[in-house]
Amino acid sequence: MAEKKSRNSDRVAGVLLLLLSIGYGLEAMRLQADFLADPLGPRAFPLLLAAALAVFSLYLIFKPDPDPSWPPGRVLLAQLGMLVSFVIYSYALAPLGFLLATTLEMTWLSRLFGADWRSGFLGGLGLALGLYLIFVFGLGIPLPLGRWWPG
Amino acid sequence: MDVLASLAHGFEVALTPLNLFLAFSGAFLGTLIGALPGIGPVNGVAILIPIAYALKLPPESALILLAGVYYGAEYGGRISSILLNVPGDAGAVITTLDGYPMAQKGKAGEALALSAISSFIGGTLAVIGLTLFAPYLAEWAIKFGPAEYFALMVFAFSTLASLAGKNPVKALIASVFGLMLATVGIDPGSGVPRFTFGEMKLYDGVDFLVVAIGLFAISEVLTMMEHSYLGTVQKIKVQTALVSFKTFMYSLWSILRSSLIGFFIGVLPGAGASIASAVAYTTEKRLVDREGTFGTGDPRGVAAPEAANNAASGGAMVPMLTLGVPGSGTTAVLLGALMMFNVTPGPLIFEQRPEIVWGLIASMYIGNVMLLVLNLPLVGLFARILTIPRWFLVPAIAALSFVGVYAVNNSAFDLLFMTGIGVVGYLMRKAGFPLAPVILGLVLGRLMEVNLRRALAISGGDWSILYASTLSKTLWALAILSLLFPYLVSLLGSRKQAVTLDE
Repeated sequence: MAEKKSRNSDRVAGVLLLLLSIGYGLEAMRLQADFLADPLGPRAFPLLLAAALAVFSLYLIFKPDPDPSWPPGRVLLAQLGMLVSFVIYSYALAPLGFLLATTLEMTWLSRLFGADWRSGFLGGLGLALGLYLIFVFGLGIPLPLGRWWPG
Repeated sequence: MDVLASLAHGFEVALTPLNLFLAFSGAFLGTLIGALPGIGPVNGVAILIPIAYALKLPPESALILLAGVYYGAEYGGRISSILLNVPGDAGAVITTLDGYPMAQKGKAGEALALSAISSFIGGTLAVIGLTLFAPYLAEWAIKFGPAEYFALMVFAFSTLASLAGKNPVKALIASVFGLMLATVGIDPGSGVPRFTFGEMKLYDGVDFLVVAIGLFAISEVLTMMEHSYLGTVQKIKVQTALVSFKTFMYSLWSILRSSLIGFFIGVLPGAGASIASAVAYTTEKRLVDREGTFGTGDPRGVAAPEAANNAASGGAMVPMLTLGVPGSGTTAVLLGALMMFNVTPGPLIFEQRPEIVWGLIASMYIGNVMLLVLNLPLVGLFARILTIPRWFLVPAIAALSFVGVYAVNNSAFDLLFMTGIGVVGYLMRKAGFPLAPVILGLVLGRLMEVNLRRALAISGGDWSILYASTLSKTLWALAILSLLFPYLVSLLGSRKQAVTLDE
């Protein structure tokens, strides 16, 4: 792998972008205005963009750069763990409330960045409390307390 | 005359207690954000927009705060460059070349003081340039018709493409992607919903803030996971930062030349602080480095890039304010922020909303003085901030991103969308696609389409109107030239390139 530089990343990106340009272009073709306010209408600009993207992505497929160094599996796993926690956090924020959800999420993220449970938890709790105080009392922006909170 | 009267009016705006406080907060937070490796000016500005928005600040006050963060970050970036050999942001990479060797020789305090003074001179000269040039440029730009505007925006994208990143085609792809994001939502010309797939939340278009924070902050957090080995920093001792008058005078010409270079590079669309500091450093190296001391802790090698990157951030305000066409990622984010406040920068803003432009310009004079004061005696405090462990810092960036986006719309959909954009941003970074063109495309997309459609409505559908006037012909020619520029350079001067950025 080191001798023959692989260039597959750009080829894959090029194919995906080409598909995006086709899908975007087809969707643009369906656009129809009820009345014509201007000679171009709603679809000309998107069609231009789709054509440009198609040309650029073909260039990428035929003249790709050497691959970047993708992170090793251990890092990928940690990144995945982070992304999954972001999705859970997005859904959990309203029902669990800002303080609980943020403390848990920040403890987990600190763990991913190498903190031990105790300092991760304390840091997360401090961060959640601090942000809550700043946003709710300092800036007057309401944050959810959670559905389990009485009243 | 006129300029002085307007500037005086600007100082009336900038000197109100609220705006003074915001300029100070911006300068302080900016230095902090610049000093921390990983969060640069773009992230800092993007993360703070929801706070400025939620506080219901008037637009000029919000801009004073956010711009303060922007140019403040250029001051802060040098601290970790000098002390740790790790640039605090992209504009401070060059500062490591002579800054770190100076620190190793025990001259950290001197390097910090000299770089703060250079930053101050560069920043202030740039504001003077902004004061003098901006009104004239705005007056001239009022004559622009829709065809000229369209050509100008094409020019902005093409210079950005030729300068940002290694592969211009990838930058063009990033631009088109940003423009595509901008077409989502109800078409203002015909009322037809486009690319919304029936999702009501997308009718208003893609939320600029969600994209900006996802693209820059969330992708940064993902990137930092790769570098978590960096570990903790040893204790840093910085006594008072002082520089002798002799060293200062020794560097003065380098500072002045670099400020000029930085300002003009900043004005160019597409070229920002990092290019300015690199060009200034190589210029000084050629001009004054007779004993070959550059790279071994020459104070001029610290002064030049710092003067240049601060001057560039002031220069970058010129096209953003006068033409409404930002030239860099950070100014694009600033422009997007202004649009959230229903203010559209451009030539008319000088007549219609003078308090915004002149208030901002006046606050930049004040902010630079505040930054000088902050950065000389308090540099030890900022240096101590570098010892915050990464396991706390990175989650804190994530938390601020999430709470900021949530505070604006209270929507879980936005948080998921931000995460998705963050993944896209991370993959783009890895594969060598620059991020700034995406945000530029998103911010300019609607304007670009509206101008194109207006131009063709005037001509009755005849495309030749786009290059009918001399001005638009010139802009098209410049756009094509700047795209061919990297190829011309590599054809003509492969020798020259080897000298420029190899260190």
